[in-house]
Amino acid sequence: MLQFIVRRILWAIPVLLAVTFFTFALVRAIPGGPFDFAGDRSLPPSVVANLEAKYHLSDPLWQQFCSYLIGDTVCRPGDDSGRASKGVLLGDLGPSFRYRGRTVNDIIATALPISFQLGMMAMMLGIGIGIPFGVLAALKHNTWIDYSATLVAILGVSVSNVVLGPVLIWFFALKLGWFPVATWAAEPLFSGIADKYIAASEQIPMWVNIIPKPTVDFFMHAALPVFALGTALSATIARMTRGSLLQVIREDYIRTARSKGLRERAVVVRHALKNSLIPVVTILGPMFAGVLTGTFVIELIFAIPGLGRHFVNSIGNRDYPVVLGTTLLYGVAIVIANMLVDITYAWLDPRVRLE
Amino acid sequence: MTENENLIEVSDLKMYFPITKGVIFQKKVADVKAVDGVSFTIKKGETLGLVGESGCGKSTTGRAILQLYRPTAGSVKFKDVELTELKGEKLRHMRRNMQMIFQDPYASLNPRMTVGGIVGEPLEVHNIAKGREKRERVQELLRVVGLNPYFVNRYPHEFSGGQRQRIGVARSLALNPDFIVCDEPISALDVSIQAQIVNMLEDLQQEFGLTYLFIAHDLSMVRHISDRIAVMYLGKIVEITDHNTLYEDPKHPYTQALLSAVPIPDPVIEDQRQRIILAGDVPSPIDPPPGCNFSTRCPRVMDICKEVDPTWQDIGENGEEHWVACHLYE
Repeated sequence: MLQFIVRRILWAIPVLLAVTFFTFALVRAIPGGPFDFAGDRSLPPSVVANLEAKYHLSDPLWQQFCSYLIGDTVCRPGDDSGRASKGVLLGDLGPSFRYRGRTVNDIIATALPISFQLGMMAMMLGIGIGIPFGVLAALKHNTWIDYSATLVAILGVSVSNVVLGPVLIWFFALKLGWFPVATWAAEPLFSGIADKYIAASEQIPMWVNIIPKPTVDFFMHAALPVFALGTALSATIARMTRGSLLQVIREDYIRTARSKGLRERAVVVRHALKNSLIPVVTILGPMFAGVLTGTFVIELIFAIPGLGRHFVNSIGNRDYPVVLGTTLLYGVAIVIANMLVDITYAWLDPRVRLE
Repeated sequence: MTENENLIEVSDLKMYFPITKGVIFQKKVADVKAVDGVSFTIKKGETLGLVGESGCGKSTTGRAILQLYRPTAGSVKFKDVELTELKGEKLRHMRRNMQMIFQDPYASLNPRMTVGGIVGEPLEVHNIAKGREKRERVQELLRVVGLNPYFVNRYPHEFSGGQRQRIGVARSLALNPDFIVCDEPISALDVSIQAQIVNMLEDLQQEFGLTYLFIAHDLSMVRHISDRIAVMYLGKIVEITDHNTLYEDPKHPYTQALLSAVPIPDPVIEDQRQRIILAGDVPSPIDPPPGCNFSTRCPRVMDICKEVDPTWQDIGENGEEHWVACHLYE
């Protein structure tokens, strides 16, 4: 097990290096640069040249990549024009071009905890609704229960969050006034620790921000976005669970279990469900990684300052370090999620060996 | 109190599977008549062979007897208890006495349970043994079926087909049943392994006084293991008699055709073997022909066969039972 994890982490290194390389190359292949503004906001060429020089954008690409990867001290010896980057390998994702004075690390440290909280709750809701409904639909196969569950699931998959989000806000926040319209209201659970950093006017470390204080305000603000995101996820999960369970329930060993004289409940839970969860777990991994690192639409509609908007906006802004930083973060999340999926496989199916 | 020597009494058992149409309002448009009125008895300690070609309803009969399917009509009595009326907990408790060995040893064992879990689970759900006691019982069962008792912690995929079928047999024996339905227990196995399993089943029958319903399509294997044999065609039993009588003096034209297809392991006699080749296909069980089900293919068909169902009668001589459903003998 430990050996498996270590090997997977070692394997992740070339994968993430490749991700970094291709993102670096692709994002720079897009025409335009970070300081090309149109119309009134356009900068004089001399200013642009100065800015590009400050961020080393006029250097050869190989040198830019080198210093992004392993830091300025190695790749630009004797250069002291800007702040010296330590390089991605040491965890320094560099400065943002658009948000002056903020580093990509700062941006992620502030935005990721919010996306993480939203995503985590949405996943819990999605699994909590999706699996039971999928099981119910499969057990009541071809009855009105199955058809209505399937209908709701298809609606859930096909009604986009762009529609569901505003409808929820209009009805539950504006019409009924049960929930606040937008924004996020998380306070760190360990507020004492956070206060110390604030007093010292330092960046609060990510792990402090990630655990929210379970206040009423927090949950009221979270309710609508979590519902919108969670139901969309649950629809996919329910469809997957139903399809897979329908297959397993027709297997011979389910008949064997019945002939042993097991209660129907035990047949379903102990014999059928665990065998049918493998495809569900397979989709949960990437889904988890995607949702935890931020969802653009939901965060935009509910004005949640999460990471999702940075994924999208940074491309338009040609904010190269932010594009690279968020992509790399997503890559890491995918690698970890898939590793967890594989570990879960081994638990669900003894034929899978972690070697 | 007189003891009934019949362990199983099946009378006029019918198992229809509905074919439905419509998405929200389902209406039944037809039935697949998988089993259409079969009657037979199995005596205590006896093996009744059930043969017939694929799709004739052999397995369905076996499952309907054990109430793995709820029969559409008819009665199944086990030790004079009417099984078709049992429900829920009572049926669950009844399952201790009747078990099944399944056809496909690759599909019938849950891949994510250990051998100990598979064989021991019945002991636990019926509150017979737990923990250490259960483990010892499982090991004993493995020994009985000729497996190494240390296999308890292994998973089904680590075994060969024959070993898996032995696990299936151990599982079915766990509750000390009186009656076991063997649903083609050997047809998925290599020929060399088939003999091992059949011999084991015979030994177990002697040792534990088991009663078998042995479903198969391998005719020579059935003759070897069975005391009596029932021949099934399109959801109905056409002939039941002693295993030797059936092979030496088959009465029903279908039985005769079926037996003529058995190869004889002697090249001289094999060359002289006259095969009765049946014309056409088995009719659909959704819409069986009127009269005798076999009338569409029977080489000795008469006019009456196409109109009137033949009666199920005993034509045996010298006190020997020989039941057949054919107009030729009326």
